[in-house]
Amino acid sequence: MNDNVVFSQKLDVEGGDFIRGGESSCRILEILKELAFPPAIVRRAGIAAYEAEMNIVMYADRGTMDLKVTPDRITIIIQDEGPGIEDIELAMQEGYSTATDKIREMGFGAGMGLPNIKKNSDEMEITSTVGRGTRISIVITTNGGDSRDADR
Amino acid sequence: MPIDEHALKIDEGRCTGCVECTRSCPAKAIRVRDGIAEVMAERCIDCGECYRVCPQGAIVPVTTTHTDLSAFKYKVALPSPALYSQFGPNILPEDVLHALLSIGFDLAYDKAYACEMVFGEVKDYIEQNHSREPFISPVCPAVTRLVQLMFPELTSLILPFRPPREVAAKAIKMDVSNRLGIREDEIAVIHITPCLAKLAAMINPPTGEKSYLDGAVGISEIYAQLLTALKQREKKVDEIPELLHRSSGMGIGFGRVGGEVTDLGFEESLAVSGVQDTISILRDLERRKLQNMKYLECQICPGGCIGGPLTVQNRYIASHTISKFVGLFGSKPQVEEMMKSGEQERAHFRLAKSINPVSIPPLDTDTSFAIGKMRLREEILRKLPGKNCAACGAPDCLTLADDIVRGRASIEDCVFIRADGQYRRIKGKGARKR
Repeated sequence: MNDNVVFSQKLDVEGGDFIRGGESSCRILEILKELAFPPAIVRRAGIAAYEAEMNIVMYADRGTMDLKVTPDRITIIIQDEGPGIEDIELAMQEGYSTATDKIREMGFGAGMGLPNIKKNSDEMEITSTVGRGTRISIVITTNGGDSRDADR
Repeated sequence: MPIDEHALKIDEGRCTGCVECTRSCPAKAIRVRDGIAEVMAERCIDCGECYRVCPQGAIVPVTTTHTDLSAFKYKVALPSPALYSQFGPNILPEDVLHALLSIGFDLAYDKAYACEMVFGEVKDYIEQNHSREPFISPVCPAVTRLVQLMFPELTSLILPFRPPREVAAKAIKMDVSNRLGIREDEIAVIHITPCLAKLAAMINPPTGEKSYLDGAVGISEIYAQLLTALKQREKKVDEIPELLHRSSGMGIGFGRVGGEVTDLGFEESLAVSGVQDTISILRDLERRKLQNMKYLECQICPGGCIGGPLTVQNRYIASHTISKFVGLFGSKPQVEEMMKSGEQERAHFRLAKSINPVSIPPLDTDTSFAIGKMRLREEILRKLPGKNCAACGAPDCLTLADDIVRGRASIEDCVFIRADGQYRRIKGKGARKR
């Protein structure tokens, strides 16, 4: 495979916009389908991207999602301007959430976002500065990734 | 010319190339070329939105004709429960079934009863096989095709059951053949349908297995005849040999959205109708937001089958009529004795083959080439005006860019680009900045 073959796209996400929240990850999913990735991989990437996008919508002021695709690697970098995460290790635990009651009432904030991103990606890196924002980098490799869909 | 493996055709004499259908199509399956609408068979989901919006009546359902029917010795009408809702609460299902006999069918079978029968089995199956994600209803064929095309990864969640109309068609043929000594191939089972999708699924079944139905006639196509027959029904009462209507309100309820979910009785289930809401709930399912749900009923038509493009009655009035019938005929399914019967019969409820995805072709089957084409598409998209006017014949600028990359259109199809080119030729360079 030729590593010079790259498709990239940058998408904006607005904090607090629950109406349009989810559209950017939907766009990413459409793109991956059109690029002939296997359905199981597309779905994993779609879930990871969606959870990351909703994290921006729920907690941050604004953010961006950078999609970079090569034939064997899907990379999504999610960067936001927001409160940041104080204790990343704690935030990675299933069920841990700092969501407000209002967010929970809307059916979000169950503390599964970051664990779901991890579960559905092959590599995940997260860095955060309190008061500045969070950066999550997700990689999904496309070779033999199908069998990793453990959640079925 | 009928569209391959679908249930509609474009009447080229009527089509004015106005792009209403192109814009309404949720699958982006229609283009206007040389002033005439064209349906891309591989993308069409048979939802009938184009048929609803066409101001010229140029989208024509390809239903079964009298001539087609005359080839058969014995003709059975199998009406969608939605048919019962079309005449108001004072005309009972029994009346409607008899009206079908008066207009020329040899038998009218209460499909609502088959719905109760199949869903008795479905309930057990779900209890035993449910895991974390809900099963998707197999009843609406347009939803099945939508899932196959746009949500390939969800295809495995479609409940592996034959829809009640297929189960009924097979049972009718066996029964009539046994009772009257007529060969099964001389018997025609005709679905009285609220939509085009049932007909399309008959021509091109999702599993590739042959359908047991032999044709479909739209409710709207025989509505006038039925009305006439219903007006004369008093005369016929004495001749009625047996009751045709056997279902409870549960089976009749299948005519509208929520009928399946009500019958199953699971708390953890959802009923959704309308093409946009269906796409949106399937997106949520794809994102695993419906974990622990057991059953997802989706109906492509708003309100369910009573909102089908080939129905006549206002769907809210139709729904009211169904409510009346549910009250009148109760909510206890009438099929208990049937359930205890034949293992063979029950085995037939299940699909023999699985439903596979039929994904929309990607930009290229090779991801490397697809990436190249995607970049090219983005480049083209940036040149297009972004007005989504559809004047080019594609529903929006992105789809035009997509068509160009796939070699199906040219950038000159865009009226803005064409006009700009002409303007530049007149005014010289630099007339346009983008």
